Amino acid sequence: MKVTVNQDACEGHAKCQAAAPEVFEVRDDLSTVLRDPVPESLRPQVERAVRLCPRQAITISEG
Amino acid sequence: MTQLSPVDIDLSDDSIFERGEAHAAFATLRREAPVHWNPGGERMKGWWDITRFEDVLFVSRHPEIFSSERGITMFEPRDPNEVNPAGAGNGIMLITMDPPKHVKLRRLVNKGFTPRAVNAMEGHIRQITNQVLDDIAKKGSCDFVLDVACQLPLAVICGMMGLQKKDWPLMFELTNKVLGSGDPEYQTDVPEDQRGTPDAARITGQMGVMQMFGFMSQQLEDRKANRRDDLISLLVDSEFEGDKLSDTDILWFCFLLILAGNETTRNGISGGLLALCEHPEERARLQADMSLLPSAVEEMLRWASPVTHMARVALEDTEIRGQKIAKGERVVMWYPSVNRDDAAFQEPNRFDITRSPNDHLAFGIGEHFCLGAGFARLELRVMFEELFRRFPDIRLDGPPERLRSSFIGGIKHLPVAFTPER
Ligand code: HEM
Ligand code: SF4
Repeated sequence: MKVTVNQDACEGHAKCQAAAPEVFEVRDDLSTVLRDPVPESLRPQVERAVRLCPRQAITISEG
Repeated sequence: MTQLSPVDIDLSDDSIFERGEAHAAFATLRREAPVHWNPGGERMKGWWDITRFEDVLFVSRHPEIFSSERGITMFEPRDPNEVNPAGAGNGIMLITMDPPKHVKLRRLVNKGFTPRAVNAMEGHIRQITNQVLDDIAKKGSCDFVLDVACQLPLAVICGMMGLQKKDWPLMFELTNKVLGSGDPEYQTDVPEDQRGTPDAARITGQMGVMQMFGFMSQQLEDRKANRRDDLISLLVDSEFEGDKLSDTDILWFCFLLILAGNETTRNGISGGLLALCEHPEERARLQADMSLLPSAVEEMLRWASPVTHMARVALEDTEIRGQKIAKGERVVMWYPSVNRDDAAFQEPNRFDITRSPNDHLAFGIGEHFCLGAGFARLELRVMFEELFRRFPDIRLDGPPERLRSSFIGGIKHLPVAFTPER
């Protein structure tokens, strides 16, 4: 799966990094996705990040 | 606990909150009528009470369906010409704007509120906290709300905006008038024998808004003439994609910050101390290991839920939990309720300072997620670190006096006693 962070919405609250440290890294108040594609095995953690992100900045797309 | 039928529950009766009985009403609504229609009254339009966690998540995450522009409190007069102090600034304040306008303004103002900006303030916040505590140190007892809890957030937000210390008490007074307009204690513009009525609330709110606006206009004029090292000066000069902020944008943003930044955090601090005092085992656990504080702060926020509700208006016909919501109808999200929803929290009625996970919605979520959440969390953490370091035996010395409000989960007075410093 492909995971993206909308840089216009993200404010660096780092909930994503707490939920899926293998996938997200927050630096200078902005989250970056560390892997492309993100392995399926990490889907539960990423879905938790999507749910918890206070700014709705994370999206999962297939492919 | 008294058993109420959902049809009898009217959450616009703000004495329910003053008496501390709201949780019983919320429990009934969650169980029996999670999407509950309140028909409103002669003057007020009706609204839907939303009390379950998943549903508040859904509403908050769909600003394209659920709009903030017609106001974020439950009150909307049936007569569009009626003055509604609760609707002041609708559509022109950050908190009452919809995307794409909201996205743009938020990007312009959020730089001062990011985690990095907040962390840089820790030393300053600790210094203010200790100054506040110095003032009570020798007394041995005080009103925790007036002498401690309200002082820190007020100093932080007023300091950020560059307001002079002599004006801080006025900001406190006007915040109380606007956000606590329904409470007779703050209805000082109304003759004593007329306090406690809906008209008294309207007048109080209106006076508060007017005075605050007048004050902020003066501040803005001053900064336009002389820039200083403060947020108002920064806003005067800020630019985003070639656009400058208009005077109106700046004034309403300052108005919002004063209100949002001080009353809520005040109640987080007072509500947090009250919760700790009412749960002595949890408190002892915390004081034995202060590294638990960040997680304890989250539990205090869940428990106290300092903001009681935020509202939206449906922009199209839609559905929540199978219930049809018509275009134009108002939905009210009840945060204290969702933060004790057993579908989202295990043993929600247990105060547990190491609760994990603790995904409470005290700061809302999504498009309008609290801009000041980082500041509020830091202020709570530093306050309890310093408070328990200096006054480890601080204890209740009388019952709390709650605010009469369905919007802010407020405590007006909290008598405490402690061993004074020598
Ligand atoms: C414990 C303290 C606080 C609580 C519980 C709280 C709660 C909230 C909630 C629930 C919202 C969401 C509104 C919505 O979804 O319609 C919000 C928004 C907001 N809060 Fe806070 N807040 C707190 C402290 C602060 C502080 C300290 C500041 C400023 C320094 C602040 C500034 C704001 C602003 C500007 C918004 C509007 C954001 C937007 O519309 O994009 N808040 N707050
Ligand atoms: S949780 Fe959301 S807002 Fe926070 S850093 Fe991650 S993507 Fe950004």
